[in-house]
Amino acid sequence: MKLSKKVVLLGHFGVGKTSLFRRFIDNAFSEEYKVTLGVQIKKKVVQLPDGRELSMIIWDTEGHSNSVEDTRKSYLLGSDAFIYVFDLTREDTYKYLNQDLEYLKNTYNKVITKTIGNKLDLVSERVITKQLKELDIPFDCLTSAKTNKNVQKFFLDLAEEIAK
Amino acid sequence: MQSQSSQFNQKIQLVTVSLDGIIKETDHHIFNWEIGSSIYDIHPFFEILKSILQDPDIKEFSFPCIHFENNGFENICDVSIKIDLGEIVIVFFEYTKKYKELNETAQQRNESILIAKELELRNKYLIEKEAFKNDFIANINHEIRTPLTSIMGFIEVLEKTKLSFDQEELTRIIKRDSQHLHALIDDMVDISKIESGTLNIVEERFIFKDLVEGLKEAYSIIAEEKNIHFETHVDPNIQEYIIGDRMRVYQILNNLLTNAFKFTEEGKISLSITKNYQRTNKLSINFRIEDTGMGILEEHLDHIFDRFSRFIGNKQISGTGLGLAIVKNLVDKLNGEIKVISQPEKGTTFNVKLPFKFEISKPAPERKKKKYSLPDTKKKFRILLVEDEETTQYLVMKILISHGSFYVDLAINGEEAIKCIERRNYDLVLMDLKMSNIDGYQATQMIRNNYGDEVISGVPIIGFTSHTQESERDKCLRSGMDDFISKPFKREDLIYRIIKQIAKKAAN
Repeated sequence: MKLSKKVVLLGHFGVGKTSLFRRFIDNAFSEEYKVTLGVQIKKKVVQLPDGRELSMIIWDTEGHSNSVEDTRKSYLLGSDAFIYVFDLTREDTYKYLNQDLEYLKNTYNKVITKTIGNKLDLVSERVITKQLKELDIPFDCLTSAKTNKNVQKFFLDLAEEIAK
Repeated sequence: MQSQSSQFNQKIQLVTVSLDGIIKETDHHIFNWEIGSSIYDIHPFFEILKSILQDPDIKEFSFPCIHFENNGFENICDVSIKIDLGEIVIVFFEYTKKYKELNETAQQRNESILIAKELELRNKYLIEKEAFKNDFIANINHEIRTPLTSIMGFIEVLEKTKLSFDQEELTRIIKRDSQHLHALIDDMVDISKIESGTLNIVEERFIFKDLVEGLKEAYSIIAEEKNIHFETHVDPNIQEYIIGDRMRVYQILNNLLTNAFKFTEEGKISLSITKNYQRTNKLSINFRIEDTGMGILEEHLDHIFDRFSRFIGNKQISGTGLGLAIVKNLVDKLNGEIKVISQPEKGTTFNVKLPFKFEISKPAPERKKKKYSLPDTKKKFRILLVEDEETTQYLVMKILISHGSFYVDLAINGEEAIKCIERRNYDLVLMDLKMSNIDGYQATQMIRNNYGDEVISGVPIIGFTSHTQESERDKCLRSGMDDFISKPFKREDLIYRIIKQIAKKAAN
């Protein structure tokens, strides 16, 4: 049986969820901001280190304005992983990250949740890392969809983790 | 079920799927899917069916706004899924047009928020950059002033020795260039203060004639050296005492006169000061600086007050292009106005109008700088110099020892200074402020607070700093120092302040 896992991209609007989605699926990037309404779903088959293939069904959801609780519940049904994306240049996109993570943990306790700080190309990695630590903002990875920094590795590592 | 609804021009498609995902029945109102094909191969969205089928509690579920690709077009549908009688019924409600309209609204809303955020971020970045620049200038100012103190101080020491003609000439050049460098640093600090909005205007009462005399004296020497005629004219109707920022007015006139002398090789330079008007206690004064120098081309006149603007090819004429920018900013800050007229090869005239105040009642006579002398001319006074910088140590020791009235002990940091103070009585402490371990402020506070012995805790302390800000002076006085001297200092000023503090202490 083919291995298939559902991964949902979450986060405020304009943080770069669609850019990460396009970068991972099609290895493409556009400077133009286009709002996502509802959800776009695409599949990417990745080769796992043990030789198996995994179909990652990625749901790129519409960004919220306040809290992740605003995301439509039906989009989260049957998820294997959440990727919470925030914009490293906009504090309002990660200011309440801990509350959002708490909500996801309480509501979807079996789903693996990862956090990504995106738009690394616009900030100094050293400075932002220090700032996030000071603000007690957890993050699994800092990425740039524009430069492709850490994007492929992040998704492949996640694939390995959810395939276990 | 109706396949076509008038509301939003909606289309509906009904698809029946077996539990293993095979399409059993469908119409083709939206998608042209074949009966018998696997729904899982059509679009990754349908993988969700596996999750729904695994959960016996779920019988019905709706998914709004799902994007489907359909033969190169995009269909946006609300999808309703129902598990009933061993089969899956999927209903697609096609709302592409409605969602695209909503998309435009959302796009505009989000874009405007993102643009505002971007502007905010850019503004924050500019503020941080500005702060960094100002800090940098303040620090570089400190770093340059320290060696400059040594250079200018040693030139003064050197001038008092027996020099050959050549040596005298070389000393003169070093002195001139050091003074130029000093002026340059002052300009840099001023422009940085103006830009950061930290330049404060003070109001003080001063003798107007003295201000003009100071300029006249300084520039008459230069005029003589350059063989240029220099004249000043002051309207006798201007009050003797006026109120304004004496230092900044001096700086404006000084910069304009420096400029005039820089660009005039022959002829005449004049400073003419007239009263425009006076009302109640307010007074407007016009300063006219006129030269017969090289003049300015008309196309350059609009830019002469821009920073770093230099319109001459002659590299022999030094300058950063900051002088007139500072003048303009200072005039604005003083609520005045400045105008320039110029003709190439004929000369330039600057007209500056500045507002002042004056006291209507008869002013009290100005106090002259009080003279102090050492309380005992036969005794030598012991001074503790606390300074970590080697050349400044040497310079101060050289000045004080050559004066003949002082013994000097040296401590290289605050910790050592405390030890010296505990071992021996001093008549005065010269305290550098920026030192490792215990700095000058801390050392002063320790001296003032930790000893019951008045000889120790009451010793006069003069702070030494390369910073020129008023806040630095306040900080010195607040920490318990009696006076403050900024680097580079003049030999006479250092001696005057030392004698003043020793005399005041003796008088108490």
